[in-house]
Amino acid sequence: MKTLYLALKYLAIALWSAFVVFPFLWALTTSFKSANGVTGGATWIPWVQYEPSLQGWQSLFGGVGGINVVKPFYNSLVVTLSASVISITLGTLAAYALSRFTFRFLWMRNSDITFFFISQRIMPPIVLAIPFFLMLRSLGLLDSLPGLILVYVALLMPIAVWVMVDFFNGVPRGLDEMAWMDGCNPIITFWRVILPNALPGLVVAGMFCIIFGWNDFFFAFTLTFTETQLLPVAIVSLNSSVTPWWSLSAAALVSIAPLVVLAFVVERFLSKGGLAGAVR
Amino acid sequence: MAEIRLAKLAHSYGNGTNALKPLDMTWRDGGTYALLGPSGCGKSTMLNIISGLLKPSEGRVLFDGQDVTDKDTGARNIAQVFQVPVIYRSMTVGENLAFPLVCRRVPTPRIKARVEAIAERLGLSRHLNSRAVALTADQKQLISLGRGLVREDVSAVLLDEPLTVIDPQMKFELRKILKDINREFRLTMVLVTHDQNEALTFADTVVVMNHGEVIQAGTPQELFERPATTHVGTFIGSPAMNFLPAVREGDRVLVPGAGLSRTAPADLPTTDLTLAFRPEHAVAGGPLAGTVTRIWFEGADQVLALSVGDASLRIRAVAGAETVGAIVRFDVPQDCLRLYHQGRLVA
Repeated sequence: MKTLYLALKYLAIALWSAFVVFPFLWALTTSFKSANGVTGGATWIPWVQYEPSLQGWQSLFGGVGGINVVKPFYNSLVVTLSASVISITLGTLAAYALSRFTFRFLWMRNSDITFFFISQRIMPPIVLAIPFFLMLRSLGLLDSLPGLILVYVALLMPIAVWVMVDFFNGVPRGLDEMAWMDGCNPIITFWRVILPNALPGLVVAGMFCIIFGWNDFFFAFTLTFTETQLLPVAIVSLNSSVTPWWSLSAAALVSIAPLVVLAFVVERFLSKGGLAGAVR
Repeated sequence: MAEIRLAKLAHSYGNGTNALKPLDMTWRDGGTYALLGPSGCGKSTMLNIISGLLKPSEGRVLFDGQDVTDKDTGARNIAQVFQVPVIYRSMTVGENLAFPLVCRRVPTPRIKARVEAIAERLGLSRHLNSRAVALTADQKQLISLGRGLVREDVSAVLLDEPLTVIDPQMKFELRKILKDINREFRLTMVLVTHDQNEALTFADTVVVMNHGEVIQAGTPQELFERPATTHVGTFIGSPAMNFLPAVREGDRVLVPGAGLSRTAPADLPTTDLTLAFRPEHAVAGGPLAGTVTRIWFEGADQVLALSVGDASLRIRAVAGAETVGAIVRFDVPQDCLRLYHQGRLVA
């Protein structure tokens, strides 16, 4: 019975793994194919089924019919990391305040204010496109990294607030009281006592911010022209009337690489028990 | 260490409930006190007011004559141990103990010396470098207590039901440590509890509370011998005190049909009278008789539930051969009979 259960379990895991890994495998093989290699059905084994070519990868670094993705990659990295760090910092402070102190603004209480933050992500992004465009234009920040960082902070901070409020609510209030009694002021209480307890929350919020920031195409597209290009926009610009599957596959792999690294880092943190017993 | 005075202290929450009715009380420096009462009686409210976590709606809190009502928690230099162990999870045991001194910018060598001394006293020395989360619940409570003790000048140690989550066999040990610490450090200690055993064994003075009101404050002996109200008599002692409806006939108060009576004070009203005695005060043999309706064995003793006339009562007796249905003869010494009018002690 136990053997059967194990067999079924591993079968399920194997099926799921295949399901998840297959697109990566497809992208990886395609990225090493030439135009001839992608026609005539799926092929998997290099040198046997198709002749490998570096054409796709070369096109990412200024090769024939391609673009150079180094600059957009760097831009994406700068925008995503800066916006995430700012969002997490501001969002965490806001979330702590919302979790611990009572606020009233007109008819709104803490829960309404928290919902207000989240509601910024409920509306479709297109609603924000024109206001953001006009705002950045009036600030002279259109088509610039600081402009994009500013917009991304507005997009990512609600996520940080939302995640962190929940984590702070899970940290017992008794801990704050204990810290006050031990002679801490509110800032030291937050920094030395509460924040270490909410570390798993920071990791989760950080992960969300980086994923959303890195993957955004819409604002990267609408708020830039020629000067500043982010990776998702650069990848799309690779496309032409004849779809260059090899270049697009290589670009897709480049664009997901940072997230894969992030996933591994977070997974290690989680498996080390980072999340276990976040609160008592 | 400080004398704590509560002057005309009262508190009501936003919804208008009177959590604490006006009271005056002084807790002497180095004394042990227990606030005893059922859940929601206002004892935790009182503790939070003293520690500064709650600002009272009325009245003042004075430490050694100094008004601290408007001072925040940190400035009061209070230590509090909560019901559930509160420890800094990201820190080691040593860092936990050192934290109050770090916050108060005490020089490092001094911190080290204090932490080692307190850890030694609480038996935590070999855990100093362990992560605090890895310890057992009672050890975590010791860490909480230790964070109070590292401050040599701590005004008082407030214990808010600190033994609730502790294993029964460790409870006794922890209570003993608390008592020893009080003797050694001469600390003012206030224990909040709903467990009468805990209160009576720990404190010099027990403050019984109900519905936000202090019903009686006295030594455990006083509370046992002369409960100020029928509530205190019921709450303290196991089994509870016997309360029997009584009437006044001339210069005597008696329980009709039971044969129990005592002299009445001169100005005693005639209605709403209760005669009471402790099950422990009944003596075997005598003019009173009752039918045994139930027996509880409690080691060397047994508690007999008796039906005496229309009344039911309990007496504690040496374990013997009594059986349910048997007639038992007993007596209650006159000086052990208490008289209550409208639930309050008269004589």
